[in-house]
Amino acid sequence: MTGALAAFAAFGAAETATAWPVKTVAARAAEALPDNVWLAVLYMALALAGLGALVSGLGMGLIYLERKIAAHFQCRLGPMRVGPHGIFQTVADTFKLLFKEDIVPARADKALHVLAPFLAMTSTVLMLGVIPYSPVLQISDVNIGVLYITAVSGLGVMGILLGGWSSYNKWSLIGAMRGAAQIISYEVSATLALLVVVMFAGTLSLSGIVTSQAEGWWIWRAPVVGGIAFLIYLTASTAEINRTPFDIPEGESELTAGFHTEYSGLRFAFFFLAEFINMFVVAALTVTLFLGGWMPFHVGGANAFNAVMDLVPPGAWFLGKTALVVFVIMWFRWTFPRLRVDQLMRLEWKILLPIGFANLALGALAVLYSLYFFPGA
Amino acid sequence: MARVKLTDTRKETRTLAGRPVPVVVTPRFARRGRLAVFADALASLLAGMRLTFGYLVRPSTVVTRQYPENRATLKLPARFRARLRLTLDEHGYQRCTACRLCERACPNASIRILTRPGALSKHELDRYIWRMDSCVFCNACVQSCPFGALEMTAEFEHAVFDRRLLIFTLNRYAGPPASVLLKEPDEAKRAAAMEPRDPYGGPVPLNGTDLPYLKALAVAPRPDPVRHAAAPAPGGQA
Repeated sequence: MTGALAAFAAFGAAETATAWPVKTVAARAAEALPDNVWLAVLYMALALAGLGALVSGLGMGLIYLERKIAAHFQCRLGPMRVGPHGIFQTVADTFKLLFKEDIVPARADKALHVLAPFLAMTSTVLMLGVIPYSPVLQISDVNIGVLYITAVSGLGVMGILLGGWSSYNKWSLIGAMRGAAQIISYEVSATLALLVVVMFAGTLSLSGIVTSQAEGWWIWRAPVVGGIAFLIYLTASTAEINRTPFDIPEGESELTAGFHTEYSGLRFAFFFLAEFINMFVVAALTVTLFLGGWMPFHVGGANAFNAVMDLVPPGAWFLGKTALVVFVIMWFRWTFPRLRVDQLMRLEWKILLPIGFANLALGALAVLYSLYFFPGA
Repeated sequence: MARVKLTDTRKETRTLAGRPVPVVVTPRFARRGRLAVFADALASLLAGMRLTFGYLVRPSTVVTRQYPENRATLKLPARFRARLRLTLDEHGYQRCTACRLCERACPNASIRILTRPGALSKHELDRYIWRMDSCVFCNACVQSCPFGALEMTAEFEHAVFDRRLLIFTLNRYAGPPASVLLKEPDEAKRAAAMEPRDPYGGPVPLNGTDLPYLKALAVAPRPDPVRHAAAPAPGGQA
C-alpha cells in the first residue's frame, strides 16, 4: 500500500517536474511551413474546422443545457419530446430557424441590419481562437492575449449597437443603447479584475497565465485580492454578456426582445448563438485566469492525490471547470431578478469600480512585496 | 434576515394620562449601516441560490406531468368537470325524473329534455340531450338537480372530427326514474317500461346544423360513457 502510494507520489513528482509544454496549432503550422506547406495548411484547416465544430456544438449543447437547467430550477422538465429527454430539441430548433423567412423591416438600414449579427458573431469566434483548451489545444497563443480578448470582446458591442440602430424600431434602439452603456461600463471592472491576475502572472499571454498557476490557482494564490477579483470578474462579465440579472438590453417584459426584436431566421440565430458562445468564452476566461485553466487541481504536499489528479487529461480539467462556471452563470440567471437601469449603473460605477481599483492597488502591493502564497515553488 | 421580527410583537399595559392603557408594541425598524445592508443583500442572493439549487437537485419538485404517457396513472382533481353523466342507483336505474330543473338552470341551453307519457307515471324521460359543444361546464345543472341524478365526470378526451359527435343522449333508457320503477314489484314490467337509448340516436343530433352539404353521419357508436364509472368520480353514486 505504502509502496503504491510512494510510486504514485514519485509519478506525481515526475509529472510536475516536467512543466507542461505548450504547443499551439499555429506554432505547429509555423514549424511545418518551411518543410511542408501542405502540412501547415492542414493544421490551419484543422483549426478552422475545429472552431466551426466548437461553435455549432457549443451552441446546441449550451442551449439544450440552459433549457433543461432552467426547467429544473423552475420545477419543470424542459424539452422532453424530441429524442430521449429532448436531446435533439436544439437540432430541430436549428433547422426551424434556418428555414424561417428572413425579414428586414421596410425602413431598416439594410446594409447595417445584415452586418450586425455577423459582427456580433465575429467578435465571439475571434475570442475562441486564443483560449487555451489544453497544452496542445490552442489555436494561437497571442502574447498579448488578455489585451486581445478585451479589445475583441468590445467589438461585440458594435453588433448590438448596429443591430438596434439599423432596425428602425424604438425597442431595438433602446435595447441597443442600454446594451452599449452596460457593456462599456462593465468592461472597465472586468478589465480591472483581469489586470490583477496579469500583475501576478507577469504575462498577458493566456497560456502563460495558465502555466503560472502550476503551483496554485490565482483565485486563492493571490491572497484575498484574487478572490475579490474573481467575484468582480464573474459579476462584470455576466453583465457584459447581457445575462440575467443584467439582461436589460433585451428585457423582454420591457423591450419585447431588445436589440434583436426585428431579427428573424438565420440572423437571429447568429445573435442567439453569439450570446451563448459568449457565455462559454466568459466562463473559459474565468477558468483560465482564476481557476488554473487546464491545470489539474493540486494540493501542496499531497503528492499521491496530485498524481491521481494528473491522470485526468488537462482538456478534461478545462472542460469541467468551464462547465462549472457556465452552470453558475445559468444559476444566476434563473435565481436573480433583473436590475433596473439605474441600479445597474450604480452597481458598476459606485460599487464594483471602487472595489476594483482598491483591489488592483492591493494586488500591486502584494506583487511588489511577493506577498502571495507558494512564492518560492 | 428579516429586518423586523414581527414575532417579537408583545402586549403590555402603559400608563397614559394617569390611566392604564393596553398597547401592542411592535419591534422598531432598526436603521443599519451600509456594510450591514450590503452583507444582508449578499446573504439574500445566496439564500435565493440555495433555494433554486434545491429545486434543481430534487426531481420530486417537478410539477410537470407527461400527459399522454401517464394516462394510466393520471390523477385528476376530485371536482374536475368534464363529461356530464346521468347517475344510476344501486339497481342500475336512472334517478332522473325529467323535471327540467337542469334545463332551466343551464345558462346557454345546452340541455334539452324530451318527455313522453309513461306507463308507470304520467310523464317519463324520453331523451336527455346534452350539447357538449356549447356546454360551458358551469356545473349549474348538477347543482340544480334535487335528485342527485347528474354528475360531472373527469373524462376529458373529447376530440372528434365531426362536432355532431359532441351532442349526446345521456340516458341509457327511456322510462321512469328509479323512484317509480322500484314501486313496481314485477321485474318484467320494470324491464318493459325501459326502452334502450344510445348516445347518438336522438331525433335532434344535428339540432339545426344538418345542412345540405353535410353527409349523413355514419355513427360508430362510442362506448357507453358509463365505462368511466370505474374511475373515482366526485360523489359518484353509480
